[in-house]
Amino acid sequence: MQTVTIKPRKEIKISVEAENISPDKFGGKTEKEIQSLVAWMGNQKTTLGELFSVKVEGSGPAADTKIVLEGDFSRVKRIGEGMTAGLIMINGNVDMHLGAKMSGGKISVKGNVDSWAGREMKGGELIVEGNAAYYLGAGYRGESCGMRGGKITVLGNALDFVGEHMCGGEIFVKGNTGILPGLSNNGGKIVIGGNTSRPGSEMSKGTIIVNGKVDEMMPVFKLEGDEAVDGVTYKKYTGDVIGNGKGLLYVK
Amino acid sequence: MELLIKNGAVFDPVNGIKGDKTDISVKDGKIVNNVSSKATVLDAGGRLVMAGGVDAHSHIAGAKVNVGRMMRPEDSRSGISPRTKITRPCTGYTVPNVYAMGYRYAQMGYTTVFEAAQAIMKARHTHEELEEIPIIDKGALTLFGSNWPTMDFVREKNMDKLAAYVAWGLLASRGFGIKCVNPGGGEMWGFGKNVTGLDDVVPSFDVTPREIIVSLMKVNEMLGLPHSVHLHCNNLGNPGNYKTTLASMELANQVKASKDRQVMHVTHLLFNSWGGTNWGDFESKADEIANFLNNHDNITGDMGQMIFGSATTMTADGPKQYANAKLLHAKWSNGDVELEDASGVVPIYYVKQISVHAIMWAIGLELALLTKDPYKMLLTTDHPNGGPFVNYSEVISLLMSNKKRQEEIKTVHEAVHAKTKLPGLDRELDFSEIAIMTRAGTSKVLGLLDTKGHLGVGADADISIYDIKPDQIDPSVEHAKIKSAFSSAAYTIKGGQVVVKDGQITATPLGRTYWVDAKVPQQHHDEMMKDIVRKFKNYYSIQLANYMVQDEYVSHPQVIKAGAIPVEVN
Repeated sequence: MQTVTIKPRKEIKISVEAENISPDKFGGKTEKEIQSLVAWMGNQKTTLGELFSVKVEGSGPAADTKIVLEGDFSRVKRIGEGMTAGLIMINGNVDMHLGAKMSGGKISVKGNVDSWAGREMKGGELIVEGNAAYYLGAGYRGESCGMRGGKITVLGNALDFVGEHMCGGEIFVKGNTGILPGLSNNGGKIVIGGNTSRPGSEMSKGTIIVNGKVDEMMPVFKLEGDEAVDGVTYKKYTGDVIGNGKGLLYVK
Repeated sequence: MELLIKNGAVFDPVNGIKGDKTDISVKDGKIVNNVSSKATVLDAGGRLVMAGGVDAHSHIAGAKVNVGRMMRPEDSRSGISPRTKITRPCTGYTVPNVYAMGYRYAQMGYTTVFEAAQAIMKARHTHEELEEIPIIDKGALTLFGSNWPTMDFVREKNMDKLAAYVAWGLLASRGFGIKCVNPGGGEMWGFGKNVTGLDDVVPSFDVTPREIIVSLMKVNEMLGLPHSVHLHCNNLGNPGNYKTTLASMELANQVKASKDRQVMHVTHLLFNSWGGTNWGDFESKADEIANFLNNHDNITGDMGQMIFGSATTMTADGPKQYANAKLLHAKWSNGDVELEDASGVVPIYYVKQISVHAIMWAIGLELALLTKDPYKMLLTTDHPNGGPFVNYSEVISLLMSNKKRQEEIKTVHEAVHAKTKLPGLDRELDFSEIAIMTRAGTSKVLGLLDTKGHLGVGADADISIYDIKPDQIDPSVEHAKIKSAFSSAAYTIKGGQVVVKDGQITATPLGRTYWVDAKVPQQHHDEMMKDIVRKFKNYYSIQLANYMVQDEYVSHPQVIKAGAIPVEVN
């Protein structure tokens, strides 16, 4: 088992791109090797060691690597990008693109995550105890497939476009979400504990379940009647009927 | 500035050189008989030497290319390379940024590329991009097939006015030749309709695609343009369209060439050689098309080879693109160019295990292998419709190796066995035939063979050297080496200057832009302009005075003169 603890050396004001903070990059590496990994601050190339203090205990491959982030990472982007195994524990907030394209392992966040958390993720698990911003589990600009597999859990709220262009996997938001969750959804499952508005426009496949109130329905869904899902009765809709979509939308 | 290339295994089909060790002398950007002792010597070390590659059909610049970039931000996440001291940053795969177009062609050993379609009204945009594409020489074909003046003059059977319009349109667009896309269909699409064959009448103009094609061929030869009519057939992309394609190719017999070249070039034939009646019984009819080409000498084609993976379809064939977008549930952009054609852009992903895609892939290769004379079947991918041009090396290695083809066939949908003849074709092209399909043939088809596509005295000193020794390689077995060598030239020399070494850009001179200045009798021009003035007054959203591409937009022009001559009609 290898545990790597990293902390910002000072307050980070200019945003940092740190896709190298990942068990795949840290696994089996010494403190010095990790410190020498590249990071970018604004348009300046730098190293993780310049920006963060790094402490390594034990040694092991990526699957046996735990990364603990202490302190404020709210201006640090792309943490855990493309990770395939291991664990990242974040004790505060993080910036955009957390766990983008990850295919395995687990990321756990005590605070909030900024936009595009779990973007285009293929597998693994992302747990956020705070809130998520826009485009949770979505595709980046123009992409036809967002999240393709794995699971995202948000215990707080999320903003607009949860799971936009999602093609697989599962997203659970315990609180409310902004408008258009599951926009252009093409597979996968989104469960919203709280309220939302205009879910599932342009859906071709996939499932959206809303347990709270839907402020406004898009007029592109066809009501199919009542149906019980896991013992709870919902109004079942299918759509988007304009695109002959086979998406399922369950609303209380 | 003198250069001597020694010890090259030269393949120059135009001058009958097949791998012989031949020295090439270069002075002031041209190939000459000999150079002084002061010349820089470049030892090719027995490696393959060809003329610089010439591409006769690729979408590299202009309005729809840029629409492709705008609607596909995801494409620019691939192909990223940072700025160097010499090159600008690059992005993109199917729709690369402007600079990458020049770098990537040069890195493959290509030195001349023609943009396949520009509407006159959008030509300024095309030239703004061409001006910024580094290294390569270029030009753009101008769309005439659905233009209102074209259809009016065709209906009036007034070839003098039509010739005058084409000449004026080439000047207005600084264009190189006549492109004709789904003739009549672009206009019908303005009313949500399309033409389905050569004899459908375009309402309110009362002309048929057949009349448009024949008339444009006639005026092309009246004007003695360097290139022939460049035709994108009606019914493209529909199962069973090979019949329309054959009927269109028949029309070439009605006109006699004014020069030593074809009278009709039918482009991206992969998309026009389809049998069947729907996607279920879809099959290849490449053999019928190739057979036609084998028996006719006044017509040429290009492959439009498909490459598995991401592509962006872009064409002036507006109605086809609407159908594509519906079929694929894909992003769709539609363009209407007022009185001149339509356009559409739709991304696509070609998948080996989809039967239609596998058959399409095979059709392109069948066309190249079944057409006996490589001068009649040029190598293209209709970039980026069939796939990005950076995959030419893949196509070359497939054509040179039956072993590679059989390996690939095992990985694609089994429909290629029943619906195409590809698995049974054992022809393997040699270096000379590849040189024709990518250099000599393309230059001949474009009418540029005097200075392009060969290494004889007087030709432009556009030369590529590839890291293979032809006498020591068996392309059939070592197809991976062939692919790697053709994807990254050991040297590319443009106008006598080394622009690529070991696959890396070493210099970025600005190439020239070819356009054709065709003269017609003043009286014909004046009569034609009366109609044009009226059209601008009544219909165009812009003023005639703002329409023409000014000389400022073409800073390195290469003007080819042409002019009205009597045409013999069979």
